[in-house]
Amino acid sequence: MKRTFVLCTAALLLIGSALFAFGDIARPKPTPAPGKVLFHTGLQIVPDSKAYEARLQISQETLQRIREATANSPANTSMTQRIMQSSTRTVMAGMFMFLAISFAGVWLARSTQRRGQKAIAGALLVVGMLGAATVIVRANAGPPGYYYWQKLPENLTKGQGTRGGLDIEIVSGDDGIKLIVPMKTNKAPGEE
Amino acid sequence: MERAANISLAAWPRARESDRARVSVRLFAVILVASAGVSAALASWLPLQVSILTVFLFAGPHNWFELRYFLMRLPARFGRSRNFFAVAFTGIFLLTAAYLAMPALYYANLWSGANWPDAMATWNTLLLLWLGALVMMRSRQSSRRDWFWMLPVVFLLCALNWLQPQLFSLAIVYIHPLVALWFLDRHLRRTRPEWRRTYHRCLILLPLLIAGMLWQLSRTSSLADDNGLFWRITQHAGADLLPSVSSHMLVSLHVFLELLHYGVWIIALPLIGATGALWSVRTIPLARRRGGFPKLIAAVLVFGLFVVGVLWFGFSVNYAAMRDVYFAVAIAHVLAEAPFLLRMI
Repeated sequence: MKRTFVLCTAALLLIGSALFAFGDIARPKPTPAPGKVLFHTGLQIVPDSKAYEARLQISQETLQRIREATANSPANTSMTQRIMQSSTRTVMAGMFMFLAISFAGVWLARSTQRRGQKAIAGALLVVGMLGAATVIVRANAGPPGYYYWQKLPENLTKGQGTRGGLDIEIVSGDDGIKLIVPMKTNKAPGEE
Repeated sequence: MERAANISLAAWPRARESDRARVSVRLFAVILVASAGVSAALASWLPLQVSILTVFLFAGPHNWFELRYFLMRLPARFGRSRNFFAVAFTGIFLLTAAYLAMPALYYANLWSGANWPDAMATWNTLLLLWLGALVMMRSRQSSRRDWFWMLPVVFLLCALNWLQPQLFSLAIVYIHPLVALWFLDRHLRRTRPEWRRTYHRCLILLPLLIAGMLWQLSRTSSLADDNGLFWRITQHAGADLLPSVSSHMLVSLHVFLELLHYGVWIIALPLIGATGALWSVRTIPLARRRGGFPKLIAAVLVFGLFVVGVLWFGFSVNYAAMRDVYFAVAIAHVLAEAPFLLRMI
């Protein structure tokens, strides 16, 4: 009994000392918060042989839009990010969505009234038309953003400009302005 | 079956000639339109001040009028509605207790509030499932009603609630005042069907007024919520959840809807005789029936008046704290409206 008590006391003292020792460890570096897209705009890269310094020219109008977007931006994360961050809520929402669709199907199946069937047929027709319209609109959408930037090296070599889409992000830190250009490499895996 | 039919009729006494003469349909329409217009103007002009004054004056009395109205709608004998009312009252009690427990646990430092949105989503889900159960039970009471389509709607609302629980709760804050207008419509349908057409025409004014308010106030600067009370009012209207929307517009819209809500319960329904003679418990079926409880009903109503007095006293002593307490406890009357409205459909 006495031996057990001594061992437990020693173990508690050891754990206690570990806590104190842990107190001297430097605070872990906080993970940088992910960037937040405020709005979408365009960017043109123009090679200039006479320029001494690279310049990022932002028009007055664009600057005003940035100011407005920053002023209206809430301190917390966006709606999509909030949803994506909570897996519990996403699972629950999905489960209830599944139940809603299932019970809607049961209701459709047991609905025998002619008037109701006409209403359902009308609703399905509208949904179908909306779906078809969506497919058509998507078909006319432009190619992905990286397609335009693929020509950047070639155009720079030729001394020509390149125009493509650009997302302006506000990121933490003091690294100035960074331009990340999507470039797809055609190298095979392992090839240098 | 026969008894149930009699109960239903007893709960809907026909308006007497003296009641009918109390107000004409034209005067009723004028009062509705004027009240809505003045409410919109006041709510747009001085939203914070009107909000403070309105809650102080009418929050308690409108709850008393609702209590009086619900007692009148309560059948003398539950009959085949026994299960419906059992589920209704159990739900009101448990949901209110859970709603009050959340801030109580937080302020008692027993819960950090870290997963507050999840707790709120769970409460909202229970509320929706309770409503769904009531709808299904009510639907089964008559072969003419097939409300099965409500089930997918309820589950869809549950899904939306889990995506944005706080916005869902905010939607309840804005939708609840409009339920009073539905009550008024159902009451007119039973007692004064000839007035409904005029009433529906007056209701067209409502979206126009709201659209006008939104148009006028959307570009106004947000209200200065630099003190605790003003901050509470703007938060209640959703200023934190909708930061890109002017808090002036949000508070004004909420105050306008609240004024309509209070107006229906305190002015419109008593004006058409829906609550019966306020001082007489004989208009309440539970008190009127043989072997009823007239003294108990009278005691409940007198106690209600006492609570209204306590509420006024509390507002006078510490308005901000009392406002928080009131809006937490008031969830009970929000919940109570659901079963009684379902009984009228």
